[in-house]
Amino acid sequence: MSKDEKNKDLSRRDFLQKGFRLTAALSLGGLGIFLAKDASSEDGLWQIDPSKCVQCGRCATHCVVTPSAVKCLHVFDMCGYCDLCGGYFRPEAKQLHTGAENQLCPTGAIKRNFVEDPFFQYEIIDELCIGCGKCVAGCDAFGNGSLQLQVSHDICVNCNQCAIATNCPADAFERVPSSKKNISKGFSGGEDV
Amino acid sequence: MKGNKIIIPIAIVLLFAITGFMALDFFGAFDKPNENPYEYNLDTFKEVKQQDISHQEVQQIPVEIEALRAIAVDKDDYIYVSGNNKLIKYDKTGKLVLEVETSMEAFCMTISEKGKLYLGSRKEIQVYTLSLDLMDTWKIHAENAILTSVAVNKQNIFLADAANKIVYRYNLQGEFLNEIGRKDPNQGIDGFVIPSPYFDVAIGRDGELWAVNSGRHQLESYQDDGQLISSWKKSSMGVDGFSGCCNPSHIAILANASFVTSEKGIERIKITSPTGEFLSVVAPPKAFDLGTKGIDLAVDSEDRIIAIDPKRKQIRIFTKLEE
Repeated sequence: MSKDEKNKDLSRRDFLQKGFRLTAALSLGGLGIFLAKDASSEDGLWQIDPSKCVQCGRCATHCVVTPSAVKCLHVFDMCGYCDLCGGYFRPEAKQLHTGAENQLCPTGAIKRNFVEDPFFQYEIIDELCIGCGKCVAGCDAFGNGSLQLQVSHDICVNCNQCAIATNCPADAFERVPSSKKNISKGFSGGEDV
Repeated sequence: MKGNKIIIPIAIVLLFAITGFMALDFFGAFDKPNENPYEYNLDTFKEVKQQDISHQEVQQIPVEIEALRAIAVDKDDYIYVSGNNKLIKYDKTGKLVLEVETSMEAFCMTISEKGKLYLGSRKEIQVYTLSLDLMDTWKIHAENAILTSVAVNKQNIFLADAANKIVYRYNLQGEFLNEIGRKDPNQGIDGFVIPSPYFDVAIGRDGELWAVNSGRHQLESYQDDGQLISSWKKSSMGVDGFSGCCNPSHIAILANASFVTSEKGIERIKITSPTGEFLSVVAPPKAFDLGTKGIDLAVDSEDRIIAIDPKRKQIRIFTKLEE
């Protein structure tokens, strides 16, 4: 065997050794990234993208928690403080007062407070809200869309496979990092509110 | 014994009937997985009687503009539309005549009797010739304004600011003159209630200003100096009035001084008399896609009603039905 052939043999061996080392390093690195990503997703929370939500009513009926962990969130900076609020009054309401027969919410979970003529503030009573989204639909239809459904993380048990997300017809449920608990549409533009 | 012979078959039939009913009830409930027990249903309010419909849609013109928001018609019935960064001119048959870039997000547009086109963005007015050459640009004096409508009579330009809920009067050179519609109980002015960014103004047949007080479902007319002339309102979920937080969203005025109005929520175009009595429906809710908003209106010399449909990105033309 000539000297050149011996060098050639050695370089082939070197090449194979380096190749194995590189493959092993890449595999370990990839495994590390995968595990880190997996760990961070476990840290995520379920949330509803209001721009996708179609108010199908399933947040009220499919959550494993009773009443649902989904609640209506009022984004005040979008609200028109309307007297005739589409989210508060039933479409066929005869009078604009707080009588139960005029209210759209099936559980009376919206409190109407007079501010000044002709403005009223609407406040969600979380304990009564069942997350049905009826007020959200009314506000979307006639108002600015300031009423939005959001998962309340104080109540949500953060199931790996959320029962509502599985049944959501609009694919509006998504995982968000725990640092960003809410997604709101409108003026706040996805900021925490 | 004879009694038992009758009772037993009846009991068996009853048993089967009850079992059948229970089974139907039990399994029937599972047959409707998509039913929403909390559905917000406006279907009954969207029904329109055939005899109330006065117009038919005769043409749809597709428009390639992002965020189509404004329409106007000149005295020769050329149609102008605008939105983000574009201004387009069509002839009355819908044939494209001219198209220019505007470098502005237009919210409103009108054309004066003298043939100048006024295009408004949030805080700026651009003045064009009808050949779409830019003549002038001026900014309005108000802070944080959102201009949603512009109207021009012989001496004045009126600008509706939805953010500050007020109408500004400028002269034709762009100098601010006075405000219109600020709350003043002594003058009988309620003040504008504008919960959403739809605040329209138009010029009446006598040159007077008409402004939509949408939060009150009210139309108000003013003299140039801001004196209230008259107003009418009609709140109703029915076809005869306006519903929701804030309607009508847009108006136009026919040759006989009747109003053409467009609404959101229950999407429709209607005609009311000059004093607010419901006359007819131009386009019923079923003519629009659910959630259509911002149906700006214009009327041409033949009283054709020309609307923009931002959702479908179309100009839609309606003519009166034959008697």
